Amino acid sequence: MNPERSRATRSPPAEKPHAAGWGHLLPWTAALAFYFLGADFLGLGTNALIMVLFALSLDLVLGYAGIITMGHAAFFGFGAYAAGLCAIHVTNDPVTGLLIATAAAGILGFVTGTLILHTKGVTLMMLTLAIGALVAEVANHLRDYTGGDDGLHGIRMAPLLGAFRFDLWGHTAYLYTLAVLLAWFALAWRIMRSPFGRSLDGIRQNVRRMRAIGTPVWWRMVAVYSLGAAMAGTAGALSAQTTRAVGLTALELLASGTVLMVLILGGTRRLYGAFAGAVVYVVVQDFAAQVDPFRWMFVIGALLMAVVLFLENGLMGIIDFAAARARSLWREQTPR
Amino acid sequence: MHTLVQGIRILFVLMLAVGPAAADTVKVGVIMSSSGPFARWGEQFRQAIEVFQKQNGKTVSGHTIEVIYRDDGGPNPVRAKQLAEELILREKVQFLGGFVFTPNALAVADLVTEAKMPTVIFNAATGLITRKSPYFVRTSHTIPQAARPIGEWAVKNDIKRVVTAVSDYAPGHDAEVYFSKAFKAGGGQVMESIRIPLATTDFSPFFERILQQKPDAVFVFGPGGPPTVGLINTWASRLKPAGIKFLGTAETQQIDLPKIGRSALGLVTSFHYTETVDNPLNKALWADLVQMFGKDTVPDLASVGAYDGMRVIYRAVEKFGPRVTGDQAIGLWRGMQFNSPRGPFRIDEKTRDVVENIYLRRVEERDGKLVNVNFQTFPMVKDPWKEDNPE
Amino acid sequence: MSEFTIVLDGIAYGMVLFIISVGLTVTMGLMRVVNLAHGSFAMIGGYVAAVAVGAGVPFIAAAFGAALVAGLTGALAEVLVYRPLYRKGELAQALMTFGFTFVVIAALTAIFGTSIKTLPLPEYMSGLVDIGFRMYPAYRLFLIAFGLALALALWLGIDRSLYGARLRTAVDNPRMAGAVGINVNRLFQLTFAGGCALAGLGGVVGSALLPLEPYYALRYLVLFLVVVGVGGVGNFKGSFVAAISLGVIDTVAKYFLPSAAAYLFYGAVLALLLWRPDGLMPARSAQ
Repeated sequence: MNPERSRATRSPPAEKPHAAGWGHLLPWTAALAFYFLGADFLGLGTNALIMVLFALSLDLVLGYAGIITMGHAAFFGFGAYAAGLCAIHVTNDPVTGLLIATAAAGILGFVTGTLILHTKGVTLMMLTLAIGALVAEVANHLRDYTGGDDGLHGIRMAPLLGAFRFDLWGHTAYLYTLAVLLAWFALAWRIMRSPFGRSLDGIRQNVRRMRAIGTPVWWRMVAVYSLGAAMAGTAGALSAQTTRAVGLTALELLASGTVLMVLILGGTRRLYGAFAGAVVYVVVQDFAAQVDPFRWMFVIGALLMAVVLFLENGLMGIIDFAAARARSLWREQTPR
Repeated sequence: MHTLVQGIRILFVLMLAVGPAAADTVKVGVIMSSSGPFARWGEQFRQAIEVFQKQNGKTVSGHTIEVIYRDDGGPNPVRAKQLAEELILREKVQFLGGFVFTPNALAVADLVTEAKMPTVIFNAATGLITRKSPYFVRTSHTIPQAARPIGEWAVKNDIKRVVTAVSDYAPGHDAEVYFSKAFKAGGGQVMESIRIPLATTDFSPFFERILQQKPDAVFVFGPGGPPTVGLINTWASRLKPAGIKFLGTAETQQIDLPKIGRSALGLVTSFHYTETVDNPLNKALWADLVQMFGKDTVPDLASVGAYDGMRVIYRAVEKFGPRVTGDQAIGLWRGMQFNSPRGPFRIDEKTRDVVENIYLRRVEERDGKLVNVNFQTFPMVKDPWKEDNPE
Repeated sequence: MSEFTIVLDGIAYGMVLFIISVGLTVTMGLMRVVNLAHGSFAMIGGYVAAVAVGAGVPFIAAAFGAALVAGLTGALAEVLVYRPLYRKGELAQALMTFGFTFVVIAALTAIFGTSIKTLPLPEYMSGLVDIGFRMYPAYRLFLIAFGLALALALWLGIDRSLYGARLRTAVDNPRMAGAVGINVNRLFQLTFAGGCALAGLGGVVGSALLPLEPYYALRYLVLFLVVVGVGGVGNFKGSFVAAISLGVIDTVAKYFLPSAAAYLFYGAVLALLLWRPDGLMPARSAQ
């Protein structure tokens, strides 16, 4: 293959530990500050956070393990329907529903993963796509349970932890989503820096070598695929619980395409790339749709192309650049 | 910049409010699809609203009616709910309107109830919607409302054996159920009920299957939009030569007829709005659409839903002024009636759903143009779904 | 004899898939670009022809004119959009081509509006023809004949010509092709433009089965990708077999089991890909 192509699949430089500390503080502080400053926009904010979690889940599968999937929305939608149905038929406690939906999506990921993960490239892409289409079709057909095209509605959530009601202004929904996101992020951060995460790096870069040193490649792939599916299921469940409705669009190919776009836009294999991509995408889409709903696709399309042409590592490329500049300025000013 | 303008505007409004002749701005939030595959709906809504405002003025007793449009991009409950929240909380709208799709309308039901927000459904057509919030009224139609009359008519007009072929999604299922019920009640036989996958663009295998069964007619509920053209052309080339008639509902809208072409001649459909209905309001609507947006503009169900939706909202502001509450508006709307471009229009006192004529029409050629022409009227039909599913 | 009719219907549908997808399989195989923008070129072709036919241009002339426009757009896009992508990873390619599709959709919607666009068939295609045991739409016979002629032309052009030999070399081993003096870049551009022109042509002649609309480029992208994946990336003969098989499977399933057809189509895709992960006819480089 073309030797130059491998450039893009190389790992980003390992972050320096002290920089990482500050790097962590910034996005989370911003997310918390938004709660106080953006009170009129909490609905938008909640949807952006859910998109962050969804894109983060894709980063595990696609960024770290190199599995190019066009059916990731299947897990998001499965989690959403699971959470919605759980609230209607079993219990409307949000945390229980969230756990059930997460597990359900994880199991779906495991089952489909074992079926398809021995393939790669375009074939794998098509298989994920076909599975996504099948899941969407099932949801459409089971109208008695899912509402079909009318959507699943009538979801009523009990107060969170028995104390915090989901209010009209979306305060509870926002903080709840943020907390869940933080928990998943911490877990993902740990996992991706564990030997397991490192082995995924190896698998992505050179499968044969990893096999030769005795890594159970297939199992690792299935494991990370299931993990990503579970996480996407959580994102779907949050969407169902905070919106109190689920639509078939959650399962559609366009949803898979959108999350793919968001992640690559932000930058893969960074975890924080999901943040940058989701926030920019959701805000630009919302803004462009208000200014000119008829042409927002043009804005988004041009943005995507510009990112590919000018930013090697997605939007995180800008942040890398800014951070490098800041560090060099800092060094210049600090006497040694 | 936007917020600055907004700030100035609010200041301005406040200054006026303390003056003796208080004039307020009443904001109406309209949630619709103006991007994506269903962008046509948003366009039709907006054009009809602008025509209404041209005909009736942008002010009601001195209070400006400002319409704020928001794009939900298609059936997307998550986005619809977020937009409704923003319109209510941030823009402080006094009315919500729009809603092309059922899942989007259902997604805002709880929110609307909580905020006591008077909400007018311009289109979404599943029977149960108005049940889901006491602040919903509807100015379009329901699928069962349109599908039942043609079942009743068919069985009385030499059609005894029918195959139904509906798109495999909720509205299609409703159409199938209510057509079949009426048709069987009259003694007709439904030979098979085919459900066509939603993504279908080539309808020939289904129509071949129907051809084998030799029914008198086929009742079709299409997916709407682009596939409609193929649907009707395939019927014309496969079933029409065998004498199998076409029965439908929304398949022959004026907006699509020029695209379908002469294959559409003679198709019988039942619907709540026919573009050739002979009344002055309808003629004015069409004439103004053409004058403002070009000669190819035609009114359809989206136009008339939005047009009458605006009428309903204007009435509420006329009666209660700019600070109308949800309960006042709904109280006024229950049982309200007026003349609409579609004919007589009433909002049911109890169910808050629309009561209207359902027309049986046939596609004919007039002055070189294909149009639907009414030949029978089922006067003031209520939504049958609610009769079958009492609260 | 209805079963025979159904198979004919399926073949006609498959031909449309083939005409549009064949360009995609060659470009994905040759340039190794994850190309999510292929539907855009079919859409451009369709819209251009719709305007031309509306203005009174004969159908066939409009079809080839539209193919030319789609091909030229493709050549331009190859320079502006695709060339910067060759050195980048698959993800950047997916993002870029997705973005390009969005821009095309927005641009076409801005120019032509949001309503349905139709391409009225000429008189001689819209009628019925006696095929012995029944009357059958002339249009579908035209599709089948056209698809077969195109397949034959491609076979002669790719399997039996110098250009074809170079192309196959470049697909199988681009570095070696460069080393033996083939101008791979020129070959890329020419082939890409050709693939886009075919897509444009397919968009026109197939418009009665895949109707033109603002979302055309995204809605049918899956179908085109599936044909390429099932056929084997980079092999036009594979695409031919896959397109016809999938067209027939889909149509036959709809005839016999209408309600389950949606499952059967994607079920078949799943089964075929699990059975032959590199496609029915993999290009040599994929093995």
